[in-house]
Amino acid sequence: MTVIGERVPRSDGRAKVSGEAVYGVDHSEPGMIWGALLRSPVSSGRISRLDTSAAAAMPGVHAVVTAADAPDVRAGWVIKDQRLFARDVVVYEGQPIAAVAADTLEQARAAVAAIELEIDPRPAVVDLEQAMAPDAPLVHPDWESFVPTAGPDFPRRGNIAAESISDPPGVDEAFARAHRVITDEFVAQRQYQAYIEPKSAVGIYREGRYVIHTASQFPFNVRDRVAQFLDVRPSDVRVIGHTIGGGFGAKLDASLEPYAALLSRAAGGLAVKLVNTRTEDLLTCTCRENAITRVRSALDADGNIIAREFEVIADNGAFSGEMPWLTSIALHCARGVYRTGPTRVIARLVYTNTAPTGAFRGVNGTYLYHAVERHMDHIAAELGVDRREYRLRHLFADGEELLNGQVLHDAGILRKAFDAVDAIAPWEKLQAERRPYRGIGIAAAWWLTNPMPGTAVVKLSDDGTVVVVTAATDNGSGAVSMGVTQIVAERLGIPPSDVRVTMPDTDVAGFDAGSQGSRTTRIVGKASEIAADEVIEKVKAVAATMLEAAPEDLEVAEGTVRVKGAPGNAVSLGEVAVVATNTVGPIQGTGSFVTPFPEFNPGCATGLMLPSFPTPTYHVHLAEVEVDPVTGNVRVLRYVVAQEVGKVISPDGTYGQVAGGVTQGIGYALHESLRIGEDGRYRERTLESYRLPLAPDVPRVEFVPLEHPDPDGPGGAKGVGEGPVLLPAAVIANAVSDAIGKPLNSIPITPEEVLAAIQS
Amino acid sequence: MEVSFTVNGKPTQVEIDPAETLLSTLRDRLRLTGTKEGCSEGECGACTVLVDGRPVDSCIYATGAAAGRAVETVEGMARDELGRALQEAFVAAGGVQCGFCTPGFVTTLVSVLRENEHPSEDELRTALAGNICRCTGYSQILDAVAATVAGRAAR
Repeated sequence: MTVIGERVPRSDGRAKVSGEAVYGVDHSEPGMIWGALLRSPVSSGRISRLDTSAAAAMPGVHAVVTAADAPDVRAGWVIKDQRLFARDVVVYEGQPIAAVAADTLEQARAAVAAIELEIDPRPAVVDLEQAMAPDAPLVHPDWESFVPTAGPDFPRRGNIAAESISDPPGVDEAFARAHRVITDEFVAQRQYQAYIEPKSAVGIYREGRYVIHTASQFPFNVRDRVAQFLDVRPSDVRVIGHTIGGGFGAKLDASLEPYAALLSRAAGGLAVKLVNTRTEDLLTCTCRENAITRVRSALDADGNIIAREFEVIADNGAFSGEMPWLTSIALHCARGVYRTGPTRVIARLVYTNTAPTGAFRGVNGTYLYHAVERHMDHIAAELGVDRREYRLRHLFADGEELLNGQVLHDAGILRKAFDAVDAIAPWEKLQAERRPYRGIGIAAAWWLTNPMPGTAVVKLSDDGTVVVVTAATDNGSGAVSMGVTQIVAERLGIPPSDVRVTMPDTDVAGFDAGSQGSRTTRIVGKASEIAADEVIEKVKAVAATMLEAAPEDLEVAEGTVRVKGAPGNAVSLGEVAVVATNTVGPIQGTGSFVTPFPEFNPGCATGLMLPSFPTPTYHVHLAEVEVDPVTGNVRVLRYVVAQEVGKVISPDGTYGQVAGGVTQGIGYALHESLRIGEDGRYRERTLESYRLPLAPDVPRVEFVPLEHPDPDGPGGAKGVGEGPVLLPAAVIANAVSDAIGKPLNSIPITPEEVLAAIQS
Repeated sequence: MEVSFTVNGKPTQVEIDPAETLLSTLRDRLRLTGTKEGCSEGECGACTVLVDGRPVDSCIYATGAAAGRAVETVEGMARDELGRALQEAFVAAGGVQCGFCTPGFVTTLVSVLRENEHPSEDELRTALAGNICRCTGYSQILDAVAATVAGRAAR
């Protein structure tokens, strides 16, 4: 029996389709009351008056808290630059200023409205270039006092929250002797994760510690952040996870949790629930950052790229979250799949008076690859050569060394991916059949599988089923409900329906680095596999006595332990469990796993915080679009993905990640406009104006999985979930530019921009 | 005000504020939390329930307007032959990821398939334009519908 690669229904599927599943927003506690936040209505200003006395006297109100009631500390994932409440100044629209707990949500909101707040507005720092100017007003005049959360400080100054620069020798010399130089600038807007379940949290202060119920991608991270904000030990906070209604990176860090915790304490220990309205959620979500990317390539007389300059300016918003750690990703993408000679990479992260940005599936990669791949099309067009052929000419092969010194031993898979796409969407045929206002685009990428640690306990029950105890979360991808479940079932020779996985609880399970970077199937799957192997060893030792055979002559299969070659001579796993409990004690196994970072050259760059990409995967996408020259609307007619996946554990899960990631990428490319006004406030503030891709907007994605099983991965698995979102902006922008014969270098490509380009 | 209606076939009477939404009545008063609140502005469709068989966004539908009518929620779909088949097909086809939008999709699709036994994929995509799924990209949801339609034809 094998369940790896089989269509196994997800273990939480029935609960989700029937309405039984309890999401974060569904959780309630006995005697629970409701919280609401007073948020800054402006992006920048000084608080001249804050009076909560009227609010505190409102009916049903249990507590009103402000900065004066919170510990005088700063907190943060990478650098401690954030206070729980604005104290003297506000630095982004939506920043919490006060919180209220009351018997009902209506009472809490009424009390928030009764808080007397006056703010003297200041000009907002919004423009990324101006923010970096020497005389620019500082978002945080006290930036020098900020302390990194762990490890040494990193390059930063003033409004520059982080900086990573790689300046290898030979760049300027190559540009000096270049036959020609091609230059581009690209602009990408923010993208809202737009999970359908808004953020929520229930906080309880009881027995001297905080218990948090929430739907989090990374419960241990939430635990740590709550502990930082409330100035207690991490172990004084317990985070209990519930079913997540989508996250895509935005539910990795704490959001409402510390407010719920503090309010509960202030309300004498009553459970307090906070839920974002959709507009609160949109305005304060750690969106994918907006960015400006400039690329300059030096070409020799034959058109080959002999050097490159790559500059990124990304918007951090008012506080840092995970962002500084991600700044050096530019280094890995600027020359990630194509040979470009010596390449100078300058990446800066800039504070502005806007909502903090943060992780969104395919962090930074979406706009970095958009820039790289639009630029490749531009060069090919200037040279008058075929765009696909030009890519293949520069494409990495096995053994390529990257800018950081990391060697890609298997980069030759990229060529296989181009071939796989061509097999179902032949480039020459598509070119030959081109019609007016139709265009095609192609692009390639490499990406990592997040290496961070995870652990699991597998315990055998008396009925032969197992429970996997882990703090891993299934963000919806199926990484736990299919991936980990199937991997354990496979190892133990039991049906997936006999494997149950706990919901996360930081008191119960060991550290897990959360559902990020496509890591869960690989890391937690591997930890669970190791734990299952320990169970197998213990089972064999006990069964050896029962079967009067040597442990090495036994095998675990089909829910039994049996003598190899004599399948009739067997005992069930349940029987072994019962005997074990009464002889050697209950059987369980423990496994932990972390992927080491691939070797790199630490001297290759300053600010190298994410130094190399562990467990690489390779990706090629192709899109065909049609432009309506009257409306400017773009229709994606065809979308093809060839992706290296290690090994497919669940075909439905894998395809779901590809189709879903591509759809988010189509939204990013064409629909999801999130503009920031000069006042630092978002123009789009609801799901009516922030336009998500709908069923009529997207085609069925044609997908070719390329299997190259990873010897270290469970069942050969590598990360799958993030890669699909990396390239849609690149290929669609290339396809639309191809369709109208004009370059479109901003994301998203709105109908207005298409029409303006056509008419230009 | 007092309002009487049926919920999943069960006669129900509630005493409510006239402004109360059907979503609030279902979730907060009747503890039917399968119906989800995604946006409270009638955009995402996660709160879709059927009123006299027609899909409505319960977040912007006054409970008072349901007086004397039959309300069906995702919880009731498990007791409806078509609803149950659709729910099972969603799981089998990978049409569920985070699942938060799923109750709204199931109720919308039950309404569609009661009216039209063999909708085309284009008809389905149009019918689903009021339901946002952020996870799946819709393909496996359409696969689930196709399997349900095929299963019904086979019986």
